[in-house]
Amino acid sequence: MLFPTLAFGLFFVAVYVLNWLTRPHPLVWRVTILGASLFFYAWWNWRFVFLLMWAVVSNWYAGTQIERSLRSENSQGARNWLLTAIVGDLLILGVFKYYDFFALELSNLLGANTTLPLLELTLPVGISFFTFQAMSYVIDLKRDLVKPMPFLDFAVYLSFFPQLVAGPIVRASEMAPQITQRPDPRRVQSAEAFHLILRGLFKKVVISSWLASNLVDGVFANPDGHSSHDVLLGVYGYAIQIYADFSGYTDIAIGVALLLGFRFPTNFDCPYRALSLRDFWKRWHITLSSWLRDYLYIPLGGNRGRNIETYRNLLITMILGGLWHGSTWNFVIWGLIHGVALIAERLIPRGNLHPVLRWLITFHVICFAWVFFRADSFTDALDVLTAIVASPGDDQVSSLPVLLLLAAALGTQFISKAQTEQFRQWCNQHSAITQGLMFGIGLVLIDLFGPEGVAPFIYFQF
Amino acid sequence: MQNTPDSPIERPAHSNGFAAGRVLIGGLVGLMLAACLNASSLLAEAKRLPDSASRSASLAVWTPLEAASSAVKLTWPRELGERLLGRTQHDPPITLVRERTEVTNETNSGHSELIVESVQKEPGSDPSSLPPPNSASEQAWDENNPLNIWVLGDSMVQFFGETFVSMAQQSSIVDATSEPRLSSGLSRPDYFDWPARIAQVMDEYDPDVVVLMFGGNDAQNIRDSDNQWLERFRAPWVEEYRRRVGFVMDIATDDEQRIVLWVGQPPMRGEGFDTRMQLLNELYQIEADARESVHYVDLRSLFTDASGGYSRYLPDAGGKLVDVRLSDGVHLSHWGGEWLSERLLSEISRLSGLGDLWQQ
Repeated sequence: MLFPTLAFGLFFVAVYVLNWLTRPHPLVWRVTILGASLFFYAWWNWRFVFLLMWAVVSNWYAGTQIERSLRSENSQGARNWLLTAIVGDLLILGVFKYYDFFALELSNLLGANTTLPLLELTLPVGISFFTFQAMSYVIDLKRDLVKPMPFLDFAVYLSFFPQLVAGPIVRASEMAPQITQRPDPRRVQSAEAFHLILRGLFKKVVISSWLASNLVDGVFANPDGHSSHDVLLGVYGYAIQIYADFSGYTDIAIGVALLLGFRFPTNFDCPYRALSLRDFWKRWHITLSSWLRDYLYIPLGGNRGRNIETYRNLLITMILGGLWHGSTWNFVIWGLIHGVALIAERLIPRGNLHPVLRWLITFHVICFAWVFFRADSFTDALDVLTAIVASPGDDQVSSLPVLLLLAAALGTQFISKAQTEQFRQWCNQHSAITQGLMFGIGLVLIDLFGPEGVAPFIYFQF
Repeated sequence: MQNTPDSPIERPAHSNGFAAGRVLIGGLVGLMLAACLNASSLLAEAKRLPDSASRSASLAVWTPLEAASSAVKLTWPRELGERLLGRTQHDPPITLVRERTEVTNETNSGHSELIVESVQKEPGSDPSSLPPPNSASEQAWDENNPLNIWVLGDSMVQFFGETFVSMAQQSSIVDATSEPRLSSGLSRPDYFDWPARIAQVMDEYDPDVVVLMFGGNDAQNIRDSDNQWLERFRAPWVEEYRRRVGFVMDIATDDEQRIVLWVGQPPMRGEGFDTRMQLLNELYQIEADARESVHYVDLRSLFTDASGGYSRYLPDAGGKLVDVRLSDGVHLSHWGGEWLSERLLSEISRLSGLGDLWQQ
């Protein structure tokens, strides 16, 4: 069930009513929300509901055993249960997401006569998100950062539909209090929620879809058939497209959760205004980057050791971060580019460079890496990069309106938070009916300007 | 006050908000307004749905709403917007609408015996062999007079069309164009009128080679000329669908010099869907065999594994396994698109009599 569809609209109205009606009754509310979330997930493929429930049951059980071991001061037992839970989660990811990739590479390495069996499984939507959330729960339990959650609370946390399929990756420490403490039903943050939902829909339905079908897809499919200007605009266009697509989903997810009385963490903070890669990763997919920092980079040693160890840790973290997105070499290369760039920033101080120059360098390194992220293969990525320098094709999509659209989309990154807040306050001044009417008109405009039908969100595949 | 489990959270005083009930009313009023303003678009979308209970329910909701909204001119702003953007309901913009493509793991629906009863193969037709090169080979193409190739079809074309164009244009004497219309096909001309568009392309661009690929969205009930629904794969349906396929082929071959390649459907992961695509392939092949200038390109042999079924991974010429299909079990991956493009270019080379055109 995609957010920008009528089916989701009807589903959400029903869930909204049930959510607030049952909220005073903790058990009924938990069962209702769990049921709604499983229904939402089953809409794609009902078989994977069992996989999701397996992740819920296995991690919850491991969590109770970790807690029990810690209480009886059996740290070895806690470690063993933690290891079991993590191995179980990685096994789910490994089987569904990575096995075929490695089996294929190994088969090709060993030669034509040696073919490892391939599973050809359908990738369950959102698998990387809910397994990472589950791992954060058991690790935080072991670190005594969260208290063990009752089964239904944990099931609601892991399966909560607004963030189930494409994040943000919400920690148990952020969700658990919001599950147990009832939000004030007299203060639903409608203005903020409607604003976020409309903003997200606009990013996804209008900007991302338009860029994909009118600029990016054509350029990446056939870079030689376009001029160098076209290809360069296509690369910039993809940078905007993926931001609009993913942050659009996040905006809608946060808005939808807000209407149900939940506040999710910020996941994007104008990432393309970053002046360094380090800054970028504090602004882009924040819940993933902080997950990688807390559960991978710091346990590896972080920056506490010698420089060479810090660089190693950065590379490992970024490469695995790349692999998290998908099982292809291009994602590994994307992570590698970011890792190398982060190391380069540490080696080459850029403090005395003009901020505009620093921004230009950072933005172009990010765009360079996006080429590998978007291209179907390493060769295709090289074709795109070569075409930027010298392409035999003619101008097909380069035009002033396209350039202005890209510039405007990039320009929104530099709108100050104060201005956004002012707009939100202005919306807040109106009655719920007026807000609803503005929301309705916004929906019509988005539908009018967007293409017919909506492609799945890019991050669903991760 | 300290928060206790399941007690209301205290919000900061500056945090505004409304009671959940008022927000619900406000939201519903907004959605109702949006539905009224968008009624004509919603009704058009409902009409494009395949014949089903969902379509009937949608029409039951949107038809009276559209009538009421039109009566009080509430649909006017949207229609004005459409006109200003240069759109009409019969010309949906191209976009990635993957949701509507039939991607299921359904079981065999058992229609095979129905279609077998309905289809009489033309005597003497041999689907495994392609006819010899036709008279198009007598033409000479060069940079000033390039071989003009058009690729037209549904979402399958979206996934290999640009790759094909890229590979085709490696020859300096070829000009290739791909035009996909997602979610389209021959079953629902009310969604997109392919015969009209193909006729337009033939008329305006007079291509030397036309590559056509349909079927992914076509295994659904269709309306006949009397506006009656025909149940898919029943004898009347098969007769009507064959007529449409033949009609499209006839439009494309209005110039007998033109080479027309009709690309069949590859094996599909979903068993029921695969069966239906095989049945459609039979129809395409029969209609193609009945026309001298139309050449059927069989993809089942190109994309099957050793057991003769669907496989996402297949060995390339060097024995290296490559990922030829997308995870949806329907569309071709980039590599699959390259395979198909190579196959099509090889056929075009042969049929145009230019030998290995893409080495020039």
